[in-house]
Amino acid sequence: MKILGYLLWGLVACGAGIGLGGIALHRGEHINSLWLVVASACSYAFAYRFYAKFIAAKVMVLNDQRATPAERLRNGHDFEPTNKWIVFGHHFAAIAGPGPLVGPVLAAQFGYLPGTLWIIIGGCLGGAVQDFVILFASMRRDGKSLGQMAKEEIGKVGGLIAPVTVLMIMVILLAVVGLVVVNALKGSPWGTFTIAATMPIAVLMGLYLRFWRPGKVLECSALGFVLVMASIFAGRWVAESASLAPVFTLTAMTLALAIILYGFLASALPVWLLLAPRDYLSTFVKLGVVLMLAVGILFVRPELQLPPFTRFVDGTGPIFAGKIFPFCFITIACGAISGFHSLISSGTTPKMIAKETHAAPVGYGSMLLESFVAIMAMIAACVLQPGVYFAVNSPEGVVGAVPAAAVATISSWGFPVTTADMATLAQSVGETTLFSRTGGAPSLALGMAHIFARSGGGQAVIGFWYHFAIMFEALFILTIIDAGTRVGRFMLQDLLGHVVPSLGRTSWMPGVIATSAAVVGAWGYFLVQGVRDPLGGINSLWPLFGISNQLLASIALCVATTILLKMHGAKFMWITCAPLVWLVSATFTAAWQKIFSPLPAIGFLAQAEKLEAVLRAGTAANVADTQTLIFNARLDAAICGLLMVLVAMILLDSLRIWVGILRGGERQVHEAPFVLSRLQAEEL
Amino acid sequence: MRRVGRFLLALLRELGDENAYRRHLAAHGKTHSGEEWRRFSDHRLQKKYANAKCC
Repeated sequence: MKILGYLLWGLVACGAGIGLGGIALHRGEHINSLWLVVASACSYAFAYRFYAKFIAAKVMVLNDQRATPAERLRNGHDFEPTNKWIVFGHHFAAIAGPGPLVGPVLAAQFGYLPGTLWIIIGGCLGGAVQDFVILFASMRRDGKSLGQMAKEEIGKVGGLIAPVTVLMIMVILLAVVGLVVVNALKGSPWGTFTIAATMPIAVLMGLYLRFWRPGKVLECSALGFVLVMASIFAGRWVAESASLAPVFTLTAMTLALAIILYGFLASALPVWLLLAPRDYLSTFVKLGVVLMLAVGILFVRPELQLPPFTRFVDGTGPIFAGKIFPFCFITIACGAISGFHSLISSGTTPKMIAKETHAAPVGYGSMLLESFVAIMAMIAACVLQPGVYFAVNSPEGVVGAVPAAAVATISSWGFPVTTADMATLAQSVGETTLFSRTGGAPSLALGMAHIFARSGGGQAVIGFWYHFAIMFEALFILTIIDAGTRVGRFMLQDLLGHVVPSLGRTSWMPGVIATSAAVVGAWGYFLVQGVRDPLGGINSLWPLFGISNQLLASIALCVATTILLKMHGAKFMWITCAPLVWLVSATFTAAWQKIFSPLPAIGFLAQAEKLEAVLRAGTAANVADTQTLIFNARLDAAICGLLMVLVAMILLDSLRIWVGILRGGERQVHEAPFVLSRLQAEEL
Repeated sequence: MRRVGRFLLALLRELGDENAYRRHLAAHGKTHSGEEWRRFSDHRLQKKYANAKCC
């Protein structure tokens, strides 16, 4: 039996090695997507079996005899011992958002190789380790949050900075995901109608669940799903209707204003009416679509059309400017390592873990699955013809607003595409044009539609699948927008309540309205900035989001390293310190370049200077607009700088603690005391 | 196959808060009613949406 085990893991190791070697060294002909699937699946299996188990056994010393907070503090609500696979599904559903889907699609501008390697290696050695260690730390501390642990383990500075960073990330996150939706829906009556229809459907579900069939969430969600499917079919009819199509054909600015208004209403309305029912539906749809995509890729086994490297490794990319290092590593955050995950790992999940050893599949395993979702997104983007991929993702400011100019520019890069190709593709998916649909969502939807249509139905159903994919992406992005606005409002009310007590009361309507407006105003400002940006907005907002998210991961890894140091001295600190060093190098370099690079396509300050020169020369098309763009570039630079300073403060504070411990100073571990577990296996 | 089906249903019920509602009824010795669901749901959702959703 033991020999069989050695043989099996030897084969898995060979699969990982051959797969990674194959995708890294393959040149010339197109590579089949199965190479990516085999390389990633074998790497994940190997990493889980050996690295996660090593961390669990030797570093964390997980002990099933020790009662978890779910058992000790059981209250039937948030603290509840739960079956490990259910917690796994719960945790995965909570960490999987649009990030692992959009990031790889954007990073594919470098070719499939850099992003794929970062997703696999970063996932196994960075992201999964961060999620696992933070989950373990929170589980040993009665389910405490990252901010509370930072305060206890590092000091007050860490405890203060973590929530401020979270609030800033949320503002940028909401703006950037809002921009993804705007770019996917602009000029698309089919898509706009489908997404608009999800709102009355969600309200209907809310009323159904509240008054007509209380407690029947699955039944209600099934009904909602049928109605959403019907709205996709109806969307085609709307797009073909001469009277209705113009009503749902909206400009980017109108869509942005509609999303801002929606965010405000959703934040102020009762949560059961709109947010909760759509969240249930979007969670189920999300899990279903991820499963469908995995099956579709295995069934179709498409060839990747993008090369391993494109010419844009030199930093002149049209989607976002900057070289592979550092920009690939901040563009793909959630698929490799994401600071936001540490909030989930120190939120609901540690309160549901029944046995300590369950933390490995839940913390480490869920992140590996998320990483695999990112690999699938990379495959979906790379199955498109490179010319089509760049035509969809390149902003008008780079390739030109006229289709003939755009195809000429893209073809001159060595990625041939014609206006006829683009027109046929747009017609097949029921759109008027697919040029400059930046943000990643439309090209991901095209790739997914291509895979789904080849699984069955062919070209006849590609339009349905395209809009199904757009609906799937927009559905959970909008849920993030309204939930995020609500959370931002709570955080702001909590903060302002110290100054004006009535503003802190969540039941006081004027306070609710004022703080909702403030939060919506903050992310709405950045959303409008993205819409007005001649380079499409993604070029400046996505890196800003990536930087802030990775800086949060740096905070989480600082907390994790401090805890490991206190537990074992320097012996195991490399486990979290190595990814921390890499992340700090990549993120601080990216942030520095975004502020100070002399190239206007990269540096915010250089961009502002270039626009000022245009103003001085008197050649600006619109003086007021140019002044706004200058202000926005400086604002982005200031935010980037502020994030760097905040995280540098935590880093320095952590270093101070680490040096103290290594010199033999106090190393008090703030774990809850040991209590013997009495939980029986059959209770789970 | 049946085990997988049972697991998927249990997962969906957990994600849909139906399991949590059952636990709530059992823990407090209550029976299901529209009023009880609304009370449970308000408390649960208030806590659920005090945390950010991941990106």
